[in-house]
Amino acid sequence: MTKLYKPEQPRSSLVTGPVAAFASCIIPGLGQLLALQIWRGLLVLGSMASILGLLAWRAVALAPRETGLLAIFSKALARRPFFIGGVLLGALILWLWNVWDAYQQAEPQRRGGVAIFALILFLFFTLGWQISEINLYKAVTELPDVWPLLSKVLWPWEAAVTRDTETVIATAPIQIPCEGSAPESPAPIAGQPYIIAAPTCGELSYMDENNDLVMGTPLHLEGEGFAPNMKTQIYWKDSVGQEFHVRYQGEYVDVQTDSVGEFEVDLVMPYRLQPPSAKGVQLHEVQARQVSEVGGLKPSEPLLLSVERMIETIFLGMMATVFGIVFAIPVSFLAAKNLMSGSKLTLSVYYLTRTILNIIRSIEPLIWVIIAAQWVGLGPFAGIIALTVHSIAALSKLYSEAIEGINTGPIEAIEATGATRLQMIMYAVIPQMIPPFVSFSIYRWDINVRMSTIIGLVGGGGIGFLLI
Amino acid sequence: MLEIKNLTKVYADGTVALRDVSFKVEDGEFLIIIGLSGSGKSTLLRCINRLVEPTTGQILWDGQDITAADQTELRHIRRKIGMIFQQFNLVNRSNVLTNVLTGRLGYVKQRQSLLHRFPQADRELAFKALDRLGIRDQAYKRADELSGGQQQRVGIARALMQEPHIILADEPVASLDPVLAHSILEHLEVLNQEEEITVLCSLHYIDLVQRYASRVIGLRDGEIVYHGSREDIRRMTDAEFKNIYGQEAVRVGGGLEGSVGGSDDKTI
Ligand SMILES: Nc1ncnc2c1ncn2[C@@H]1O[C@H](COP(=O)(O)OP(=O)(O)O)[C@@H](O)[C@H]1O
Ligand SMILES: [Mg+2]
Repeated sequence: MTKLYKPEQPRSSLVTGPVAAFASCIIPGLGQLLALQIWRGLLVLGSMASILGLLAWRAVALAPRETGLLAIFSKALARRPFFIGGVLLGALILWLWNVWDAYQQAEPQRRGGVAIFALILFLFFTLGWQISEINLYKAVTELPDVWPLLSKVLWPWEAAVTRDTETVIATAPIQIPCEGSAPESPAPIAGQPYIIAAPTCGELSYMDENNDLVMGTPLHLEGEGFAPNMKTQIYWKDSVGQEFHVRYQGEYVDVQTDSVGEFEVDLVMPYRLQPPSAKGVQLHEVQARQVSEVGGLKPSEPLLLSVERMIETIFLGMMATVFGIVFAIPVSFLAAKNLMSGSKLTLSVYYLTRTILNIIRSIEPLIWVIIAAQWVGLGPFAGIIALTVHSIAALSKLYSEAIEGINTGPIEAIEATGATRLQMIMYAVIPQMIPPFVSFSIYRWDINVRMSTIIGLVGGGGIGFLLI
Repeated sequence: MLEIKNLTKVYADGTVALRDVSFKVEDGEFLIIIGLSGSGKSTLLRCINRLVEPTTGQILWDGQDITAADQTELRHIRRKIGMIFQQFNLVNRSNVLTNVLTGRLGYVKQRQSLLHRFPQADRELAFKALDRLGIRDQAYKRADELSGGQQQRVGIARALMQEPHIILADEPVASLDPVLAHSILEHLEVLNQEEEITVLCSLHYIDLVQRYASRVIGLRDGEIVYHGSREDIRRMTDAEFKNIYGQEAVRVGGGLEGSVGGSDDKTI
């Protein structure tokens, strides 16, 4: 018998050990390449170059204002001595090792260690740590900052309920500026809250050329007939009907009524950007408001909206799963090799189906949403289409692999009774398929519900829609 | 009468499993096929109902060429040929009754059967078959809850539902212990004698062969190397034995004469 191939000969080196070592001394990895250890050489060269490159990048990021290599590195070293120093030291060791290794590789009795590759990995890890800005110290010291956010996630119910509110308003007209006869505060009506403003005309605050605020006319308000011992908010309604809560020296102007429902407060007429049309005399209004909660607790708007969207999400996931299952079952039969290997025709159908499924599956659902949104517009329907398409492809693959894995004994036995192909599938294939079908389908629903929150972000409806 | 003429099977990978095999089986025979594993027993049995497509040769059954039958004809032929398997090949997740009823699939209307509906007469037939094999009380258990011997009886009941003229049994007792092996083969024997069903059975245990066979065929490497009656088996010489099983094979238990009650583990 003749041997078809020779046992592997140790490949010869192009150069001697010292030459290889010298080559690697100048360009790391070159010696190994000359010793015809191609992969080893490329690996050394590649890792050396990327470690130094990444290090330089980090150093520049640490010392952005310095120029010149030395200045940059000494500044960076001063800021992060362990990181910069460590990586530099590692690179130095790597370089020394590379010289020694090149010598070894070029000698006939080549020995090569692999421990150094652990060093390479370690250097990359160190760089990765820095690049991804991992900061354990900060993570520990600023842990308390997490709490308010986390508590909202864990206990979101504070924002979930509200009460209906009732607002009591009393108003007084203010004329800007004082010209002619100033309006009068309305006459008090017994049993109704009212306010008296003094004066009832004046100048608004405004910005001068230096963008400094010039205070407007001081205003004294007296109110009566309000609910006792309750917070009262002062509002301003300008000449175009805009209402806003008045601030005085940065604080909202709020007063507490006394035990008989009266209050007094001093403020200045607020700053208002005047519309260009607002020339001449304008009529503004000052308001005192008391907001009281009436009735029982009820779910807040955001809660209702979230619940609505959550239901939408779950159903979105469910619909997509159901449609996915309905289409995936027949497709999976076409994609099962054991059922389709009967003839050349069926086999080519099998390959075609598999190829199409692979293409569909490799396109992210997020992309499908964008396509579907172009087609049927933003909203849950687009989300359903996207998830359905992806589910069909994923489920068909899982199902068909389950079909391929079934026990062929019963199939043979049923065929031997003179059953048709359909009967065989019904009695021998489907009973074996049920458990994997059920578990894959539930798993898919799980994925679809989770995915539909993301789908919402790009316009596919559901709870994710709220995040945009 | 079943007549196998120059049957050859070459698998897609080039394995020659049967080489120019010819023999005849008269109606009502209990033909046992022996041979080492890999000698082509399963291939031969599966060629008869074309679970394996023969490469060349003919299989004539009462003058009809099975190898030339189209799909519909083949299904009509198949429903008259019951088959039982070493691994029973029941649908594990279906219950016993359903498994037995599948034996009728060749006869019932396809549309009805796809909805799992079977005529009342078939259900009665199924219970009769289960009765006959002594497993009526297991009818509503899942097939995989039964013991091996019970599962094989379900397999026989399924074959019986076909009202077969021939039963092909591919090592029907190889997965069972010897005591159960006898009970299964006795069932086949009863069917063979009372219903005059022709039985073609491959076997491993040689003393079962001489107990049940009316005729024996020995296969080696896809060729028939032995052909004999029940009496011939008793008188089988060492030379004949070695011709079937190879030079290294040793006959265990000292000769084949004598009772079957002794050691059943004279396996080859
Ligand atoms: N589907 C198949 N494809 C290729 N070779 C097969 C196949 N089935 C059986 N063989 C080969 O055919 C020969 C006969 O096998 P088989 O009929 O199963 O023998 P037995 O049942 O006597 O053990 C063996 O060499 C086996 O490896
Ligand atoms: Mg076999």
